[in-house]
Amino acid sequence: MSLQVPIEFTLNGRSTRVTVPPDMSALAMLRDKFDLTGTKLACGEGECGACTILVDDVSVNSCLMFAVDCDGRQVQTIEGLRTDQGLDPIQHAFVDHGAIQCGFCTPGMIMQAKYLVQKNPAVSRQEIKRNLEGNLCRCTGYRKIVDAIADVASSLNNVDTP
Amino acid sequence: MTTVIAKKTVLGQDVAKADMPTTDSTMITIIRQSSIIGKGVPKPDAPDKAIGRTRYINDLQLPLMLVGKILHTDRVHARIKNIDVTAAKSLPGVHTVLTGEDIPELRFGCRRDNVPLKRGKVRCTRDEIAAVAADTEEIATHALRLIKVEYEDLPTVFSPGEALQDNAPLIHDECPGNRGLLYEFSAGDIAQAETDSDVVLETSFDLPYVTHCCMGTSCVIADFDANGKLTIYSQTQAPYNYKMDLAPALGMHAGDIRVIQPPVGGAFGSKLDVYPFEPICVLLAKATGRPVKLMFSREEEFINSPTRQPVEVHLRTGVKKDGTLLFRDADCLLNNGAYTSWGSTVPVVMMRTFSSHFRVPNVRFNGLAVYTNHPYAGAFRGYGNVQATYCTATQMDMLAEMVHMDPIAFRLKNAQVPGEITPQKALLRDCTLADCIQLAASKSDFLNKHATYANQRAKPGGIKHGIGIASSIHVSGGAKIHKSDGCGSILKLDDYARATLITGASEIGQGIDAVLCQIVSEELGIPTSDITIVNNDSAIGPWDVGVHASRTTFVAGNSALRAARAAKKQILKAAAKVSNLPVDELDLRRGQVVQANSGVPVTRLDKLLRDMHFQRHSELVMVTDYYEPPSEPEDKNHMGDLSASWAYAAYVAEVSVDTETGEIEVNKITVAQDVGRVMNRIGLEGQIEGGIAIGLGYALSEQLQLEEGKVQNPCFRDYKVMTAPDMPELDLHFVESNCPEGPLGAKGVAELPAIVTAPAVANAVYNAIGIRFFDPPMSPEKVARALYQQQNQ
Amino acid sequence: MIEQYAAPISIEEATRVMQESNATVLAGGTDLMLQTESGKQQFGSTLVNIRHINEISGISIGNNRIRIGALTTISEILGSDKLMELVPVLAQTADHFASSQIRNNATVGGNLCNASPAGDMIIPLLLLDAEAELASWSKGGVVTRLVPVAEFFSGPGKTHKRDDELLVAIEFPVPSFGFIAYFRKSGPRPALEISTISIGVAGALEKEALHATRMAIGAAAPIPLRARRVEALLEGKPLHSALISEAADLAADETLPIDDVRATAWYRKHLIRVFTIRLLNDVIASSD
Repeated sequence: MSLQVPIEFTLNGRSTRVTVPPDMSALAMLRDKFDLTGTKLACGEGECGACTILVDDVSVNSCLMFAVDCDGRQVQTIEGLRTDQGLDPIQHAFVDHGAIQCGFCTPGMIMQAKYLVQKNPAVSRQEIKRNLEGNLCRCTGYRKIVDAIADVASSLNNVDTP
Repeated sequence: MTTVIAKKTVLGQDVAKADMPTTDSTMITIIRQSSIIGKGVPKPDAPDKAIGRTRYINDLQLPLMLVGKILHTDRVHARIKNIDVTAAKSLPGVHTVLTGEDIPELRFGCRRDNVPLKRGKVRCTRDEIAAVAADTEEIATHALRLIKVEYEDLPTVFSPGEALQDNAPLIHDECPGNRGLLYEFSAGDIAQAETDSDVVLETSFDLPYVTHCCMGTSCVIADFDANGKLTIYSQTQAPYNYKMDLAPALGMHAGDIRVIQPPVGGAFGSKLDVYPFEPICVLLAKATGRPVKLMFSREEEFINSPTRQPVEVHLRTGVKKDGTLLFRDADCLLNNGAYTSWGSTVPVVMMRTFSSHFRVPNVRFNGLAVYTNHPYAGAFRGYGNVQATYCTATQMDMLAEMVHMDPIAFRLKNAQVPGEITPQKALLRDCTLADCIQLAASKSDFLNKHATYANQRAKPGGIKHGIGIASSIHVSGGAKIHKSDGCGSILKLDDYARATLITGASEIGQGIDAVLCQIVSEELGIPTSDITIVNNDSAIGPWDVGVHASRTTFVAGNSALRAARAAKKQILKAAAKVSNLPVDELDLRRGQVVQANSGVPVTRLDKLLRDMHFQRHSELVMVTDYYEPPSEPEDKNHMGDLSASWAYAAYVAEVSVDTETGEIEVNKITVAQDVGRVMNRIGLEGQIEGGIAIGLGYALSEQLQLEEGKVQNPCFRDYKVMTAPDMPELDLHFVESNCPEGPLGAKGVAELPAIVTAPAVANAVYNAIGIRFFDPPMSPEKVARALYQQQNQ
Repeated sequence: MIEQYAAPISIEEATRVMQESNATVLAGGTDLMLQTESGKQQFGSTLVNIRHINEISGISIGNNRIRIGALTTISEILGSDKLMELVPVLAQTADHFASSQIRNNATVGGNLCNASPAGDMIIPLLLLDAEAELASWSKGGVVTRLVPVAEFFSGPGKTHKRDDELLVAIEFPVPSFGFIAYFRKSGPRPALEISTISIGVAGALEKEALHATRMAIGAAAPIPLRARRVEALLEGKPLHSALISEAADLAADETLPIDDVRATAWYRKHLIRVFTIRLLNDVIASSD
């Protein structure tokens, strides 16, 4: 049997303890140990972004991240985005703009969007597109995804996103 | 920016009229400005998807479920001498290991040439030679590594031309000469037409292997109950045909198979046939007595998921010097790969393009699928029309030049008018091809730019600009290729005026759920949030032939519309009794029965329903409908009005070409598409935008690279799909031709964007640099080499 | 098979563990996960997670040298005002590195140790005459040595770093006034490409001539390399178009690109020529 490493971290706002094999990915830990299936396995190689989560408020591909690397850090998945008050504005915007078709890429897109608008609410459409390079979608052609994110950014800024 | 151009005049100030399908002329829907039809409606399943709550098939776990994994051969053509599974079988945690010898040799597929686990020999890189069910993925993967296989390699053949040679290796013993499906069509007199032509253009095209890249990889779960009946959780797009096609592979009765369709991460045509991984999973479940889940890794997905059909096309087209098209003569060689799937049937659609894309009185088509040791193709959005339109739209561009006509005038000259019948007897009732071409050209300032850029080709400067146009015609009212092209609906209302629509139509992310909600909402005057769509269980839902051929809005929409109207009729009849007003003075709006002319409420709908229910002669509102489009199957000569309606599109692409690196940037695409009527605006736009992305990938960067029959780039790093920064500016214009047979006038839409985008880009590239590409994708290296050769000639 | 896991908080602790056992270092993990899952690399018996070693993170400037801790992520390099002011070519390169998510987790130390012939961050480090500081445990204490990045690589995926050594930082002199550097990478998309080719040019620009010329090319040879013959050709000479053209041909000549699934050798050489000309034109333009 393989080595099990105890780690402790904050998962969606809750302090959490778990033991993981040292070579387990953060993605496998979230899906298999915590049943948080919102974060998707779509390539396992860091190319498609469907596994995007926030770690210490920064977006990463959880498929390439080691679970042990979560130790001592703040991890947020799509399930942790909504609050008691309701959906995050980004989630609302995705729904309202028609940015969701099959929806498989959606959690990763939304987490990446969350990182972007938190880091820089004045983000431009061009910057949004560049920063979605690592998130693949086969259904939407991306336009409504960019629209949704731009909409949220401009409402945070009270200006139109250029 | 999106605009809508209504083709027919609007009746009255704020009301448009849409007629009921021809079978019942008594009911009309008045669409008001306040109507939900034509507006943007969020998808009902979107909120759950946005919060990560949706459980896709890839996320599902059943109690006591085992993990299945397949051992694919590492050869391409070889006799299987021995498979040793003893070590794999005795690995702790392995429940069963199956090979071809363990299962009856039951064949499936379009030509019954495939079996789930291969015996005797392997014919392509995908061939499944063993399967394992184990407690965990790790154990299953380990078990695969312990299976020892001995092969005797056989000579290989990869191209259709070589496979047709006399001494070519034989892929299937029972298919002499490696010949697969053959499709032939002819109309008119080619020889005479050729004599009458002033110009004959002859070019060859080589259309590539591309793959669907669904974000959710292939996945299936099989579960037998105590009575030996099978429940299969599948990504199928055609659950009822799926039962029928799966049963022979298992030696089961189709009636004992229940298909559950969980949410899927895309399909795009890849899930229209039965593929070996599915019966394999069932066999593992049967052997172990446990549910088994089998899912591909991304690498397995690239290698094993069916591709788009590659085709070598030799096309000859003749025109008169006044620009009149006289004939098209197409010879197509299809690389069938090792087994026959839906890819080999695309000639049925290809010939429609050659015979019907513009007016061509004389047509000859020959399409032959040839077995090779390559992986095989299935259906993929556009289904043969992508390949065929690349050819016709490129040649239209070339022919315009050859007869010295401007590209728009030449196309308009040959565009059909409403009421024309094609050589294959399709009736183009409302042909808007010319409207679409003119609209796209005017909105993009096509002619000015085209002339300007052509003049700048020879001038110095590293970046060249180009503009190109391409159009096409596609089925938009179903396609009668099966015995029925219909869809069933069951509609009920409860005591709270909440509706449930059980439809045969599958939701694969394309948004039929939202459109059906709109239709029911519009008829019954209840909000879309009060409507539930049920469509994921073959034991519950009525039959539908499947999600393909851009048919679902049209066929499922009509079925839902007729059911909703029947329900409305029943409700208004009861309301008339209660209110003492005539039925035809009543309507349903905003959850109430109202007086139609004034809008004055008569009674609340939920109250009426409860009164209907809780009375002596109690009545529930439960209606059913089965809609079969009024189209005809093709006869043995491929003649017939195959679809209840046809749709048209013309797209203009504007590009910049870096003549040093060969990189093409698509700056803008102007869309003109006949959609019949806009139903869900944001859903429609999303389908167009997504289809464009697929077309752009085909044009610029996507290619599954095969060498000695093996996939060289089975990963997103090396197989390039469009990303967000790649997408151009989009200017969408929809033509509403108000199709009389379509539900509230709507037509099918989703394949045309994938069809016309690539040739529009190719024509734009020609405008920019004077080079034609007959073999997409126009990768930077390909373009750079062509430019280098052009400069050094 | 990993038998032991360590999460040291100091260089001392880390190097001791690495001395005592066959260790695999985990930093961002973006390359390590890929290499081990595909079987290209096997784990050692100890997995050493260096994420918590504060001493090897951070960017500092002192003694006219810039020191970038090995744990510094590509995003941190991209977002550093200090680096943007003093060595904008690092930010320019980081901007083209993979995707946002990978930049957020991948470390500059990892990029160096992974030693891909296409390793993006390596190119600007070659232009800056950077050195890698390696630490190891010896005779009861931490010992360090500096290895020039230009001498760090021994082959594709291979470096001269010993298995018991930890890369702790990368250092280079603060570029002198008049120093300019440019980086370009091929591909229709700015990033997420394993480079078809990548190329950088640097030097002190004086009267349209480059001094202390540096040129580095990636993905065109078994290791990222300095194009020394091109540097010699350009050194001190006014950058007229004939010289630029000659430099471009020589650059293409100096490399040994291969045919692979991404591109052929022909196209790589073609791009090297094209990019060399563009980079040198960038250099001329900056003198305006």
